[in-house]
Amino acid sequence: MFDGLIDGYTQSILIFTGISVIAAYSFFAPFKTGQVSLGQAGFMAVGAYCSAVLTQKFDVPFAASLPVAGLFAGVVGVVLGFPALRIKGIYLLLLTLGFGEIISVIALSWDYVGGAQGYRNIPFNPRTLDYVVGIIVVLILFFRRLERSSLGRAMDSIHQDETAAEVMGIDVVRMKLFAFGLGAMIAGIAGALYAHQATFMDSTTFNIMLAVEILTFVVVGGGSTYWGPLAGAVVLSLLPEFLRTLREWLELLPVGMTNFFPADRIYDFLHGFLDFENAKRLIVYGLILMLMMIVRPDGLLTRDSLRRFSFRKARHA
Amino acid sequence: MIYQQLINGLMLGASYSLVAIGYTLIFGVLNLLYFAHGEIFMVGAFVGLFLVVFAGLNIYGALLGAMVACAALGVISVFVAIRPVPKDRPLAPLISTIGLTIVLQNLAVYFIGGQQLAFPETIRQTLYHVGPITVSSTQLFILGVAVSLMLLLWVFIEHSKMGRAIRAVAENHETAALLGVDVNKVVIVTFIIGSGIAGVAGVLDGLKNSSISPFMGLGAAVKGLIVMLLGGLGNVPGAMVAGLMLGMIEILSAAYIGTTERDLFSFLILILILLFRPTGLFGTRTVEQR
Repeated sequence: MFDGLIDGYTQSILIFTGISVIAAYSFFAPFKTGQVSLGQAGFMAVGAYCSAVLTQKFDVPFAASLPVAGLFAGVVGVVLGFPALRIKGIYLLLLTLGFGEIISVIALSWDYVGGAQGYRNIPFNPRTLDYVVGIIVVLILFFRRLERSSLGRAMDSIHQDETAAEVMGIDVVRMKLFAFGLGAMIAGIAGALYAHQATFMDSTTFNIMLAVEILTFVVVGGGSTYWGPLAGAVVLSLLPEFLRTLREWLELLPVGMTNFFPADRIYDFLHGFLDFENAKRLIVYGLILMLMMIVRPDGLLTRDSLRRFSFRKARHA
Repeated sequence: MIYQQLINGLMLGASYSLVAIGYTLIFGVLNLLYFAHGEIFMVGAFVGLFLVVFAGLNIYGALLGAMVACAALGVISVFVAIRPVPKDRPLAPLISTIGLTIVLQNLAVYFIGGQQLAFPETIRQTLYHVGPITVSSTQLFILGVAVSLMLLLWVFIEHSKMGRAIRAVAENHETAALLGVDVNKVVIVTFIIGSGIAGVAGVLDGLKNSSISPFMGLGAAVKGLIVMLLGGLGNVPGAMVAGLMLGMIEILSAAYIGTTERDLFSFLILILILLFRPTGLFGTRTVEQR
């Protein structure tokens, strides 16, 4: 679909950004009922390994293995969701964190899926970008529809007050289980897409830091609206690219022309700091996360801020 | 053989306990999963290393220096990552401490590099043979420091006025404030104690493994979380005992089952505890939200 329009480097950045967006939606689904999961990286691993085994060892085409991987991760999610129903808050956070770690220990010690050497030679899927774009469109349409449906409202009410929701006649158990399984399924799909793009993975690919990153996507983007995960994942994934571009722009500035002392110093500092190095980039990333929570703790996009720009309100007004 | 393994388990467990104490103290008074605690532990190890290598201090100086530096860092973290963040959003302080974690870890990578550094041997190695067990002087030192620190803390929490204030705030924020406890001061003191102990734990860990790296914080943080949960959220003596237990369980499973299964065991324990005894092994209160 996008052949010839963009070069390979841009394409791979777009693909990994897209996979981050899908992963962010996988966190968003259980979060809609108030469940905070640090296990999404674990579900991604389940989907990734499932799809890799199916395509490589059983010659299943990717188009078939992708939904199977999603469904399998979804089933695992429902199985984990049952015990997870009993607990919430920090306990759920720890439970899902433990699940993710167990998955990575299994990946490390099970030689059938590569063990400590990692899983090599996963068949490369040349059309990942098409899949990623298609799935993101479907997800946005789905969550958009969900937000205005009775199902979505029921989920929101569980998020706000579980007891009140139950008293109002909402089947809290079924809703939470559905949301958790759905999230696991989306994560499984994201993982499968990742596996066939990267063609290599090992037990550290889907680690805690990835799960934490997925959580930050949604919280930074805004967890109260379906545009939030998209905004958060895109902004945070492209931030390093943006910083790199910023440095290129700095070089165009005619700073040498001025004799204003601090401008030179600031320029030199910024130029040196934006020198594309992983540690520096991550320091900036962490600082932005901290600043973000002070300035906009509800995330970049909230329902109120979206309403302000919405045409629908203008029509009713 | 089994006694030797138990001693090793005790050694490993002592450092888990020290990290978990900070977690559980902070969780008690703030009801917050303080993600950056593992990085404080890492910073402690590096401060200790630099004090020994560049300042030429002995191990006591290194321990003290790491303690002070980490306590200061803990207080700074309150002012940059916890105070300014609104309290009514449960996830906001979690994310800001995650941000702090990323900043601290990568500052370390930036200044030191991503590789492991050798921790100097500052204690003269002597091996003591007691029956079938062999203990080195380093091991004895680590165990001694850890245990005496824990006893000191226990006395402080149970018998001092500040300790009582910490327990009161952990029990109920509002009531404690109404009864005249200065909650802000309690939070600061809690961070000083928790972070200071984490700094000591970092130096001890460097002594034990004789190497440290900027990435040592994450593992310590995760194990500390498990221990905190095992001991019961907010329960300081519980964290001490649970840390020693987890250390033994890990060493025994590594020795008799397999090294890759070692982590599997600790996480299985985590999940079982969550499902069947969320109040921890020693049955303290549960926490409703967060």
